[in-house]
Amino acid sequence: MAELLQVEQIYKNFDTAKGSLSVIENVSFTQQEGELITIVGASGSGKTTLLRIIAGLESANQGVIRLQGKPIEEPGPERAMVFQQSALMPWLTVAQNVQFSLRSLGLSGETQAYRVQDAIARVGLKGFESFAPKQLSGGMQQRVGIARAIAVQPKLLLCDEPFASVDAMTRQTLQQDLQKVVLEGNTSALMVTHDIEEAIYLGSRVIVLSSRPARIMEIIHVDIPYPRDPLVRTRSDFQDLRERIWKMLQIQ
Amino acid sequence: MENAANSVIKHSITPAWVYSLLLLVGVLAIWQTLSSFKLINPLFLSSPQEIVIAGVDLLVSGELLVHLKLSAYIYAIGMVSGCLVGALLGMAMGWWRRFGDIVDPYVVFFSAMPRVALYPVFIMIMGVGDLSRILIVFIGVLFPMLFNAYVGAKQTSRQLIEVAQVFGYNRREIFYKVVFPSSMPYLMAGFRNGVTLGMILVVVSEFFGASGGLGQQIAVTAQFFQTPFMYAWVMYTSLLALGFVKITDWMERRLLWWS
Repeated sequence: MAELLQVEQIYKNFDTAKGSLSVIENVSFTQQEGELITIVGASGSGKTTLLRIIAGLESANQGVIRLQGKPIEEPGPERAMVFQQSALMPWLTVAQNVQFSLRSLGLSGETQAYRVQDAIARVGLKGFESFAPKQLSGGMQQRVGIARAIAVQPKLLLCDEPFASVDAMTRQTLQQDLQKVVLEGNTSALMVTHDIEEAIYLGSRVIVLSSRPARIMEIIHVDIPYPRDPLVRTRSDFQDLRERIWKMLQIQ
Repeated sequence: MENAANSVIKHSITPAWVYSLLLLVGVLAIWQTLSSFKLINPLFLSSPQEIVIAGVDLLVSGELLVHLKLSAYIYAIGMVSGCLVGALLGMAMGWWRRFGDIVDPYVVFFSAMPRVALYPVFIMIMGVGDLSRILIVFIGVLFPMLFNAYVGAKQTSRQLIEVAQVFGYNRREIFYKVVFPSSMPYLMAGFRNGVTLGMILVVVSEFFGASGGLGQQIAVTAQFFQTPFMYAWVMYTSLLALGFVKITDWMERRLLWWS
């Protein structure tokens, strides 16, 4: 498998009234093609900032990020992002919101229409194409956000705590949807979460970040084959991992 | 229990407008009766019958159309230019934050100022012609439009802009595809303000030195105690304003279906 993403010695400081505040310190890792990596850390640990740097929405003070060897400088659809709040354009229908991500790709109208239909079907929203976002539940809105990102057929899907604001039942469904999308769509995903269980359940590797400044404490391999059934949570090795990460996050 | 529930449903079946209409008929009947028995001084308040007759007369003689055209001309030019300039300037202020911050205090000052106060100044400089009238409507409409557009552009969600950035939109595209539609409710609110304010300013500006127009006719008929005609003009002006408000409502429903 080829290397997709290289994150090399990233440092990030925020300038505050009290001086410079270090939020990310020396973070390096690589991601293989087709891999689903999760990043877990406490709230406010700088993990979202790290994802935003990879998305190109913020720049690092030091370090390089490469996607297939090319340094990242600005945002681009090959790194499509699923946001914490679904962040849909309220004035566009479901289909138009999904199509929103395709405009800058230079695709023909036919291809666009096909991709929109395909993405909507893959997140299970067939029949809701002409609905306004406000007519949908929070979980359905988040699905539109996912459909919008996968319609691009990105090399890397960036997910910023995408399921943090939906109820537990919906979260479980969405987690499986995401898993399916990554496995079937031959794409890769990098997901930030503060939910340890979610991180283990979805990630082939879990990057555990310390709290401000964010440093990598450990990168943990999860040896559970995909597709993962929700019941894997009850396995003893799953429980052991959960306890281990939980302790790591407590100690610091 | 069942009967109580049924009666609640039955009550809500009669639409409110039926009662509104009944109320109108009632008020008109009382008014007409009082006038017929000479209990109201006809110099100050004509009877409904007289007003209707005067109104029909204005319509049939073609006088209504003549003056309507004159007012509409002022209103249309003032409205369109005021809305456009206000919207563009306000959006620009919200988009280029630095520019907005610099101009902001002046916008607040002029928004607070009663715009009619400027009319004598315009008359002094440009005389009592159409230009002064168009300008007062323009200024009147400009500020509510500008202020709302400014707030609208400024409140655009940071996250929605980032969504567009992630999917490769450049600054210009972000403006057209995110900031502009996101400001639409605010632009509509400014427009709604402008529609009624512009109407008021047209009529008031025609009170002084106009050769025609709805406001001029109200002023002239009042001066000559042609009371039924004066009320007929006031009625037509009100109906026109009501029409504009209804059109604005309809536009809002079409454009803001999503909010």
